[in-house]
Amino acid sequence: MRATIVLSLVLATAGCSSIEPVSPWQKGNLARPDMTFEGDGLESRFLEHIYQSKENASGGSGVGGGGCGCN
Amino acid sequence: MTTSPSAGAAVLAAALALPGMVPTVRAESAPESAQIGFKYLSYRDSQPGLKRVSVDAPSVSWLVPVAGSWSLAGSYTLDSVSGASPRWHSSISGASRMSDFRRAADLRVTKYFARSSFGFGTAYSTEHDYRSNSYSLQATFSSEDNNTTWAVGVGRALDRIDPVNAVVVDEHKRTTDFLLGVTQVLTPNDIVQANLTIARGRGYYSDPYKQIDERPRERNQAALMLRWNHHFEDPGASLRTAYRLYGDSFKVDAHTLSAEWVQQLPRGWTIAPSIRYHTQSAAKFYYDPVYDPLLGEPFPPGYLTDPGGYYSADHRLSAFGALTLGIKVTKAITKDLNADFRLDLYQQRAGWRVGGPGSPGLATFRARFVQVGVTHKF
Repeated sequence: MRATIVLSLVLATAGCSSIEPVSPWQKGNLARPDMTFEGDGLESRFLEHIYQSKENASGGSGVGGGGCGCN
Repeated sequence: MTTSPSAGAAVLAAALALPGMVPTVRAESAPESAQIGFKYLSYRDSQPGLKRVSVDAPSVSWLVPVAGSWSLAGSYTLDSVSGASPRWHSSISGASRMSDFRRAADLRVTKYFARSSFGFGTAYSTEHDYRSNSYSLQATFSSEDNNTTWAVGVGRALDRIDPVNAVVVDEHKRTTDFLLGVTQVLTPNDIVQANLTIARGRGYYSDPYKQIDERPRERNQAALMLRWNHHFEDPGASLRTAYRLYGDSFKVDAHTLSAEWVQQLPRGWTIAPSIRYHTQSAAKFYYDPVYDPLLGEPFPPGYLTDPGGYYSADHRLSAFGALTLGIKVTKAITKDLNADFRLDLYQQRAGWRVGGPGSPGLATFRARFVQVGVTHKF
């Protein structure tokens, strides 16, 4: 657990300062539904909850999950 | 089939719940069109020679733009669960058949500004022996060029557990979780995201329907999710990849990798094969199927000398590896109407663990999930 938090802080402080900025008119492909991280909301949540109930790991996607009596 | 809620109820109490999980979002403008989606999920799992739990879950989701800079979104689902799940390791009692219904709903309100958004979400889930309420707040902030977006969030869940076997009465679990995330546009075809979530839970974590199941009353979890999407112009496809590092105070460490190839095809068809691999260590209080020489199954060795210790024979707390192969087909019927079908095949085996030995003596666990849906924009 500690390793997870430490690695996150390292990544956060590494920064993205050396990245060439992308202009608004270059973002056509990034606006495609298959390039968003949300994807299909219902589908993602179904899968997330199946895995949460069959494996002992969860998180990384959002907050306020709750409601899992799946232990 | 009896209606005695048993192991399966606990297993899937909210396994397919749609609580108010607020997804992390890039800063974005308010939606311009309303949307409604229907999805039907069919879930079946099994172990060799034994069909276990079946779930059928129709659900509906909707999204409505309000007054130009607000959005309202929600979903409702109704699960029917039936079957049985093990009372310890791979052993199923004949008395543990059950059937149950669960209802879940969530609502989310978001206010959008030029380079930020603020959202509030709430969710409710109920069945005969488990009730959950959760609330969440989330905000996103983008850089001036909209290439970097930070997300922060906090959530609170209050769960009540009242098992029909009265092993415990009116138990509860309270969880607070935090999110810190950043999304970065790297190139016109690459976008990456890093999310850290930390959860702190206190209350009843044991499984009331399993024998010899005594878990700590607190659990702290941390997960780091890294995602990278890349678009290939030439074949007209996107590769979506993710890695999650997970650790908790039960001493479970886990790594999860996934990849999905979304290929555009002529006439509005899209096909997306996917693969997911998960590996985890065992919880510190999980015990292998080796039983006390005096008491026999399912008592762990030494149970008489330390009956108040922490023990669990829940196979989900064991060390294993798991693989999922999936395929999704989507058809754009009109500009505003999509239909989709998705099939996933899942297997859990001790021998598939990477990073250490798997837990011995457990049967292979298989599951199949099918999703069929339609989405309509207005």
